Amino acid sequence: MYKAKIVLNKKESDSIYLLGIKVLKNILKKFEPGQFLKIKLDEKLDPLIPRPFSIHAIEDDILYILYQVIGKGTKNLSRLKKGDIIEFLGPLGKPFPQLKDYILCAGGIGIAGFGYLLQKNKDNLPYKIFYGAKTKKDLVRLNFLKKFHIPIKISTDDGSKGYKGFITELLEKEIKKEPKTILACGPFGMLKKIAEIAENFKVDAYLVMETFLACGIGFCRGCVIPLKKGGYSHLCIDGPTFLSREIDLNAIS
Amino acid sequence: MLSVKIKNLELKTPLMLASGTWGLGENLAQFLKPKDIKKNIGALVTKGISLYPCEGNPPPRISETPCGLINFIGLENPGIISFKKNYLPNLLKFGVPLIVNLHGEKIEDFIDLAEELKNESIEGIEINISCPNVEKGGIYFFLDPAAVKILVRRLRKKWDKFLSIKLSPVGPVFEIAEICQKEEADAIVIANTYPALKVLELKPLKVLKGGLSGPAIKPLTLRLVYEISKKLEIPIIGCGGIISGRDALEYLLCGAKAFQIGTANLINPRFATKIIKEINTYIPSIFHF
Repeated sequence: MYKAKIVLNKKESDSIYLLGIKVLKNILKKFEPGQFLKIKLDEKLDPLIPRPFSIHAIEDDILYILYQVIGKGTKNLSRLKKGDIIEFLGPLGKPFPQLKDYILCAGGIGIAGFGYLLQKNKDNLPYKIFYGAKTKKDLVRLNFLKKFHIPIKISTDDGSKGYKGFITELLEKEIKKEPKTILACGPFGMLKKIAEIAENFKVDAYLVMETFLACGIGFCRGCVIPLKKGGYSHLCIDGPTFLSREIDLNAIS
Repeated sequence: MLSVKIKNLELKTPLMLASGTWGLGENLAQFLKPKDIKKNIGALVTKGISLYPCEGNPPPRISETPCGLINFIGLENPGIISFKKNYLPNLLKFGVPLIVNLHGEKIEDFIDLAEELKNESIEGIEINISCPNVEKGGIYFFLDPAAVKILVRRLRKKWDKFLSIKLSPVGPVFEIAEICQKEEADAIVIANTYPALKVLELKPLKVLKGGLSGPAIKPLTLRLVYEISKKLEIPIIGCGGIISGRDALEYLLCGAKAFQIGTANLINPRFATKIIKEINTYIPSIFHF
């Protein structure tokens, strides 16, 4: 594990924060979009297992993580201040596949891992970004996303900004018109719907999956994703991104 | 300075990596340098290997509880044939004594597994008795002293090298430990995980049943090690919730000859190095060298 100093831990919405940590450049250059890292805040025994986070952005020697406060670990993380030290292990997992002419679709905090993809793929940017959240207040980092000059389609569950409804409804209309490869990250229900859309319109959909992770490095075999052909993949070493038609989403409860 | 000898097994340090907590070594060298592995790890205990490949359990397989971890992996492994062909050669390259953890569904399975490993250059085998015996209607070996007696006796006849039995912390633990001693196992590992349950969702009720490990169980297992070491001569390898040099030392001072770390590897793959370093800092004050 590496030690890193916090340079920023800023509230972006009621529950979403942007964390910036200072990391040596020769470590940072190993990170590819789609990979993740595990963070341990201190030597306390509860929570015990470091938590995994995707890489939101890298600028100079600062690595940014966009995270939502969900449980004990993220609550403790949100209380840390500039100058505090954390420990991390990474990069872990496989990078996103190299895609051409693709659409990004994010639900809620699912937007977190896509920032670094945009930064690293300036000459191969997605065709459009679809971004849905519960309300206007939960849509974060819009100014950052706008910098890449790609059309952004927005939806909110309550209609407080953009289309009223789920982002998958907008995405389905788009794919119907223009069938394109999809790269998606968000709640399980959203990913399931996208797998359905991909099947119906015969396009590839790559889904960034989530499950409780312990080791994150293939040691414990705890984070399995069921495969359609039978057997399992391990999210931490084979994922976290999977082609939707290869995984059995119905076998995940 | 830390070297130990358990029967014929010579270990550079008393630290072993516990079964199922470092995969089959595929990614170990990515996180621990070869020289750190050799210097700090006394022995490597592989993931449980069965006669045939096993896919393991459907998700969810793991969940965290206060200071602990519940797992329900289901002994995912490639089976003994693939293990020997595809994994063993690389495992031996670490240059650290290798102990293969074995998992069977009946006594005969363990005998066949030992037979398969007879000519391999491993140091020993560790027998997982926390599994159901299909020949006896699925009663767990660890709840059935009579079955354990036959199992250890037959394995001892077959297997000359190091033989250790990994006990469950529940059931007739003292009786099972005594049988292992009588039937001349070289050591007992105290202990496996504790049967536990976590409520994942309240409505509809969704639970995860599995084995609890981590610092939460340390006081329980430490007590078992302490009490059993007072009664029996058989060497004890302590295993339960060790994540620091202090934890390890407590086990050693309470009757264990060596110890295994498990959940610690999942927190930080470099904990083996950290723990040995910490033990070394304690040694002068504890042992008055």
